[in-house]
Amino acid sequence: MAQRKTNGSKLFMMVLYMVAACSAIPISDLLDRASQRSDTLHSLSTTLTQDLDSHFPPMGRVITPRPSMCHTSSLHTPIDKEQALQVSEADLLSLVRSLLQAWRDPLVILSTSANTLPHPAQNSISTKVQELLEHTKSLGDGLDILSGKFGPAAQSISSLPYRGGNDISQDRISRLTNFHFLMSCFRRDSHKIDSFLKVLRCRAAKLQPEMC
Amino acid sequence: MRRHLGVALLLLLLTAVESNSMSPPGKPVLLGCRSPEKETFTCWWEPGSDGGLPTTHRLYYETERLEGVYECPDYLSAGRNSCFFNKSHTSIWVYYYLTVVAFNSLGNATSDTLKIDVMEIMKPNVPENVTMLVQGKEDTPNIQIRWEHPYNMDTKSGWVTVKYELRVKQEGSNKWKSYTSGTETHFTLYSVSPGVVHMVQVRCRLDHGYWSEWTNTTFVKVPNNFQNGRPFWILVSCLSAIPFIATMCILVMTRKHVKQYVLPPVPGPKIRGVDFQLLKSGRSEDVINAMIINQNFPLMVGWKDQMEEYLIVTENDNGPLPDPSNSQKRKKSLIMPSGFRLDSEIQYKGSTPIQNDWQTAEETKNETDNFVEPSQLPTKEQQCPSINFVNPEATERSLSNHENASKPFTNSGYVDIQKHEESIQEVDVKQVDYSRVKEVNGDNILILEKKNHHSSGSTDVQTQEDISDDYSRVKKVDSDNMVFLQKQNVSVDTSCREKGDHYTDCSLQKPRNLHVTGPHKVGVCTGLIDSGYVETMPAPL
Repeated sequence: MAQRKTNGSKLFMMVLYMVAACSAIPISDLLDRASQRSDTLHSLSTTLTQDLDSHFPPMGRVITPRPSMCHTSSLHTPIDKEQALQVSEADLLSLVRSLLQAWRDPLVILSTSANTLPHPAQNSISTKVQELLEHTKSLGDGLDILSGKFGPAAQSISSLPYRGGNDISQDRISRLTNFHFLMSCFRRDSHKIDSFLKVLRCRAAKLQPEMC
Repeated sequence: MRRHLGVALLLLLLTAVESNSMSPPGKPVLLGCRSPEKETFTCWWEPGSDGGLPTTHRLYYETERLEGVYECPDYLSAGRNSCFFNKSHTSIWVYYYLTVVAFNSLGNATSDTLKIDVMEIMKPNVPENVTMLVQGKEDTPNIQIRWEHPYNMDTKSGWVTVKYELRVKQEGSNKWKSYTSGTETHFTLYSVSPGVVHMVQVRCRLDHGYWSEWTNTTFVKVPNNFQNGRPFWILVSCLSAIPFIATMCILVMTRKHVKQYVLPPVPGPKIRGVDFQLLKSGRSEDVINAMIINQNFPLMVGWKDQMEEYLIVTENDNGPLPDPSNSQKRKKSLIMPSGFRLDSEIQYKGSTPIQNDWQTAEETKNETDNFVEPSQLPTKEQQCPSINFVNPEATERSLSNHENASKPFTNSGYVDIQKHEESIQEVDVKQVDYSRVKEVNGDNILILEKKNHHSSGSTDVQTQEDISDDYSRVKKVDSDNMVFLQKQNVSVDTSCREKGDHYTDCSLQKPRNLHVTGPHKVGVCTGLIDSGYVETMPAPL
């Protein structure tokens, strides 16, 4: 009788586990979704900087000899392919999440200042910044859930506070310059996020070469 | 000595002249840099004027990460005036600040600083090995296009994401059609025209960077035998069209029957006694006539049943001389409805008790145009014609013309037998139809006064003849039940006939007790009847 009970409970547990396993979405699929979103994010930011540059020469490149550092520069990320391929998945994920977290507040500031940006393409810029804000938030939320499958190292997030203040200055030229600078920082970070997630995706889908 | 000095001076002069065209090098210009696979990059510059001296160019760079100025690691691999950064010297997401310096023996020149990030300069090589293959069934050809990733591209680690784009053009057309292929290295083209050469070019890009150059054009010709299917379908469509056309022809030819079958006529309302077609044709006279004829006038029947006696009436005078034109208008005469009586209801003074009885008869008479009506009175149709008035009509010669003189309703004492409207015109001639009552004998006997009536000349004779045969004028009333009729001049209306046992034979056309005055005829005698009606029957025609 007792044996029957244990057998029954084992069977029950097995069935439950199988059901849970079968209904779970594979990680590669989740990463695929995340990387698609990051791809969109990077595409948007690229278009945005091109819009900004279309009417103003790349003054940020020539005028400032030593550019001020982006507020995320202190984060040590891989800077070439070999380094990137050597970082563990959990660390890569942690880096991605840290970057996403670091941009939540500055994007809000960018969004509000985009409404009154003295630029000919202000309208399209404003809408794109809004989209950026939404995509960043949703990607961050999704990765927060996904990180649970990668172990404790993926849970740690580096704090990268933005210290630029709530408003990006008052006069026209400096407003534009600051906006441009912030956008170029974001473009770089979005490319990092996109590249890391795609590396993660390729690694997670070993049996699916088309993912790489 | 002087010769040597001169040569030396000349040489010095030449040297001086030559050394004036030499100058420090011109400022070089950095053209740009490019990374084909996100792992290395190359930069190019344009040298300025060399100032006549051999000049060298050196490229120096700084990064935001590393301190110090570094020189280009490789001037050769990428060709002249270029600098190649290999994998170990390439960092992404790091700004590089590049400058080129030109040196010659007289000086140097520094170019402007170029700030680049590898992320921003990604432009891949062209895809490789583009192949086209025509495949598909007989009727649906398609072209399978395949290619390979560009040279040196790492597609295994996920470090780069390559997206492809291709464009197709048909021979003879000027327009390219573009398709995106995503990350796949093959594409199937379905919009293919048989027998035409198709051209394809492919390009790619990395991570939303710059597009590569287009590959060289690849050609393929789709063979012609894919057109076999078409005649078959033409034949099938023609064959199937024939029964369809035949069906349509049959339907058109029998469209009436079809319409009858599909949309049967809706029965309309029917009113007994009324003909719709007649109504539609719009002749109200005919319609009304039809309605009248079809109706049963109970009054007439009732009266008829009650009729028992006839009063025979004669007259002395010439008959009324109606207008010949009117006479033609008048239709056949009609025996007066039996509702006429000369009984005690008759009154002389114009009171109208019997009028009501006769009015219904009157109205019916008016409509049928057959009646002789008294129209002397203002309300002409309201007046009862006294008794059986004759409709003097040319067509009714068989009827003896007489005039009933017993009209008790006229105030003036006239008896009126004129017809309805037409008689208005004869107001002047109203005398024609009238006879004056001379004497009243008893309750229901009137003695008319003979009168001379004048009518319009030549029509006299005719009109006299027109007087119907049915009626005779009362010449004299003898006793309670004897009335002397006056015979007409022209028509010897001896054809009056007896009707029932109440009549005396009309053939007794001998003047009796008549004083013939002039052209007057002897009236026809008739018997008397109880009810006071006099009627002579028309001769059989």
